[in-house]
Amino acid sequence: MTPLSDEPLSQAISVLLVEDDAPTLWRLQDALTKAGYQVRAAATLAEAKAGLAQGAPKVLLTDLQLPDGHGIDLIRETRQRFPDTEIMVISILGDEESVISAITVGATGYLLKDAFPTDIAATVRDLVAGHSPISASIARFIVRRTQNNPEPPPGPPLNTAKLTPREIDILWGIAKGFSYAEIAGHLGLSRQTVPGHIKSIYRKLEVHTRGEAVFEAVQQGLIRL
Amino acid sequence: MSEDAAIEAPPGEVRRRLQVSRLLQYVLLQVLIAAACGFILRQPLPAPPQSFAVTEFRLRQGDTERSVTLPHFASARSAADDQPTYSGRFTWPAEQPQRAWSIYLPRFTNAAEVAVNGVAVLDSRRDPVANRPDRSTPQIAVIPSALLHGGSNELTIRVLVWGPISAFLDTPYVGPDDILRPYYDRRALLFVTLPIVFSAWQAILAVILSIMWVMRRHEPAYGMLAAAMAVGVLQAFLSTPIDNSPYAGLNAIAIASAPLESGLVLAFAILFFGRKWPRWGALIFAPGIILAMTGLISGQAAVRSLYLFIGTPTVGICLIVIAVIAGNVVLRRQDAASILLGCAVTIVLTSWIHDMLSVLQIVPDRRIFFSRLSYSAMLVAIGAALTWRFARALNQVDSFAGRLVTQVREAEDKLKASFAREEERARAAALARERTRLMRDLHDGLGGQLVSIVALSERGNDASAGIGDAARAALKDLRLVIDSMDDIGGDLMLALGSWRERAMAQLRPHDIELDWTITPPGLPVHPELRPWHVIQIMRLLDEALTNAVKHSGARRITVSIETLRDVDGLDQGCITIANDGKGFALAADGEAPAEGAKAGRGLRNMQSRAARCGAGLDLTSGAGGTQVRLTLPHRFPDSDGSA
Repeated sequence: MTPLSDEPLSQAISVLLVEDDAPTLWRLQDALTKAGYQVRAAATLAEAKAGLAQGAPKVLLTDLQLPDGHGIDLIRETRQRFPDTEIMVISILGDEESVISAITVGATGYLLKDAFPTDIAATVRDLVAGHSPISASIARFIVRRTQNNPEPPPGPPLNTAKLTPREIDILWGIAKGFSYAEIAGHLGLSRQTVPGHIKSIYRKLEVHTRGEAVFEAVQQGLIRL
Repeated sequence: MSEDAAIEAPPGEVRRRLQVSRLLQYVLLQVLIAAACGFILRQPLPAPPQSFAVTEFRLRQGDTERSVTLPHFASARSAADDQPTYSGRFTWPAEQPQRAWSIYLPRFTNAAEVAVNGVAVLDSRRDPVANRPDRSTPQIAVIPSALLHGGSNELTIRVLVWGPISAFLDTPYVGPDDILRPYYDRRALLFVTLPIVFSAWQAILAVILSIMWVMRRHEPAYGMLAAAMAVGVLQAFLSTPIDNSPYAGLNAIAIASAPLESGLVLAFAILFFGRKWPRWGALIFAPGIILAMTGLISGQAAVRSLYLFIGTPTVGICLIVIAVIAGNVVLRRQDAASILLGCAVTIVLTSWIHDMLSVLQIVPDRRIFFSRLSYSAMLVAIGAALTWRFARALNQVDSFAGRLVTQVREAEDKLKASFAREEERARAAALARERTRLMRDLHDGLGGQLVSIVALSERGNDASAGIGDAARAALKDLRLVIDSMDDIGGDLMLALGSWRERAMAQLRPHDIELDWTITPPGLPVHPELRPWHVIQIMRLLDEALTNAVKHSGARRITVSIETLRDVDGLDQGCITIANDGKGFALAADGEAPAEGAKAGRGLRNMQSRAARCGAGLDLTSGAGGTQVRLTLPHRFPDSDGSA
């Protein structure tokens, strides 16, 4: 889609792709390989762990439902072992259920399984460049959690206490369909900084340790002491 | 700064100064009232022409006889053989026999027997009201003309005294009845009728206060006042015993009940003004009880002499204490009731002092007693104070009840609102749960399979591209269904945000630009917006987009979102999708031309979707492109219009 995709830099980018559905795996692998990424494929959790054992990939792309386990565990483990690895979840619907739970364990982006090949490559490239993708419905889900509802809406638990008002404003803008340029204009930001803000939002939503998870569960009233 | 310090005295100092000024004001007011009272009491009552007055008399008392000029106080008190007898003469003009002549006695104590030419014409003892020394009852009697001689006639007045006060006889008048009677009537109105009216009032108040006390036992003030009123009524309607009837003793007690009555009024004042009942409180009733006991044991004579020494001072003391209490309350509270009562007490006290001075013959006058009358003034004051208090209490109850009703209504409204909110929240929660469940199901099943189809179709030949498109469209629709079930709180902008993403993903492979313009504030919020409205609108927009992609050959699609103000001044959301492709000619009926049968069906679909949401749809197409303009309703319909 853009001339950048042929840049030699992308040659160095290693991607670990974990997807159990063979046609989908081929499709994603094709799209990424054609864009010049160095792709290692895994169809199961065990294969993925074996792949990680060989060395840290620059990008981990994983499905959540795997035949021998859950992608969430893989994301958590990768995040702990290789903090520099960018993690993206492969989602069918791009729904908050899968995306948010992946974000809370360390993912900073998501990829739709049926995305066009060019989009797939562009999304991964953006992620490596520090630009996390976000959809309007994910933004909507997060900002809804920032509002003080006595009973949080269903879905994965999420602690939004660390988000700044500016970040919440950005999320509102995305939820309402404004482009990054429009949001930047409204909030007096530079257009380039908005995607960085998204990544920072994802990082703030991440639950790092067991203790923190308990603390946040208490904060949200999920656990009563 | 120094000015402030000068103005700001310590709070205690300020309060004391304020109290002193209040006390001075109050005392000044009472002094003025007392002075006015004294002035009024000193005013002589209207008297008949002096020509009918008979003033020169011979007084025979016991064995002595001397000349006196009326009015006259006789020194004797109660000795039966010592009754003073006044003898005088008057002239009757014989030439006027047709005019009746009367003898008019304005004032006497305690009783008088009048004889003309040796024949008795008037005995005041027959009139029970006249026997009450505390009422200044006048007497009048027509002299039978047969008794009268032309020229000089003899007039004998025997004054009967039974204590406790000394004998007194005011100037009698003898003259034509039509001249004297108006003067008599005026006095009778003032000293006979008025006390009866007041007594009737007292009787009514006694009943009302008794009922109040029975219904509100915790307010003994009303009971006290009711008792005072009852005693007053009893004593007013009983006649003074002059002979030794079996009830004489009881009557004497009743007559001597004034100290008891004043004690009860004092007790009322103490309780009414919310003062603590003093430990010596029972002593208030002691003089009255002593008098009553004396009456029961020793008979009326003893009561009468004792009354003068115990009864009247007790009344005075009680009045002074009430005045002090009322004054004290005025200082503290400054309310209408206490000021009114204070003034009334001052009037009664002034009258009482006047009467005492008269009884003790310190101030010479016509021995007219006003205590009883002014006591009625106090009754008026008490009645007014109670009415005032009652009305105020009723007002308080009313306002309290009103406040309560308002509060209950507010609480009810709040409850209703919170119930509605709760219902709404429960509905939203149920929807969200259902959506989550549906999402998981679709994710695990259909979604995965569709993705596989997309992937497979891309590996095959061109023919399978159609399958891929179809599968992708199915996935897109799945996302739309799930997205539209999300609770967006009536803000269509949130749904449009997701739609924009999908639209961009759809347009990207076709190299069509999407121009997205939001005119602040975007679209109005519609709390009544339901998921099915959202689906209809999103599918309508999808249809417009797909048409543009497939048929127009456009390079740029513009989506404009704005809020317009309609003719009624109401906000109306408007979404416009325009493209720069080749347009098509609309048939006269707004239908697409026959050759674009598929496009035509698409347009009909859009029309019907808009109609189901109560939205308006405008299609314009020409050489410059096609424009679809969707005007949202003020209020989305509750039920599906086409269903």
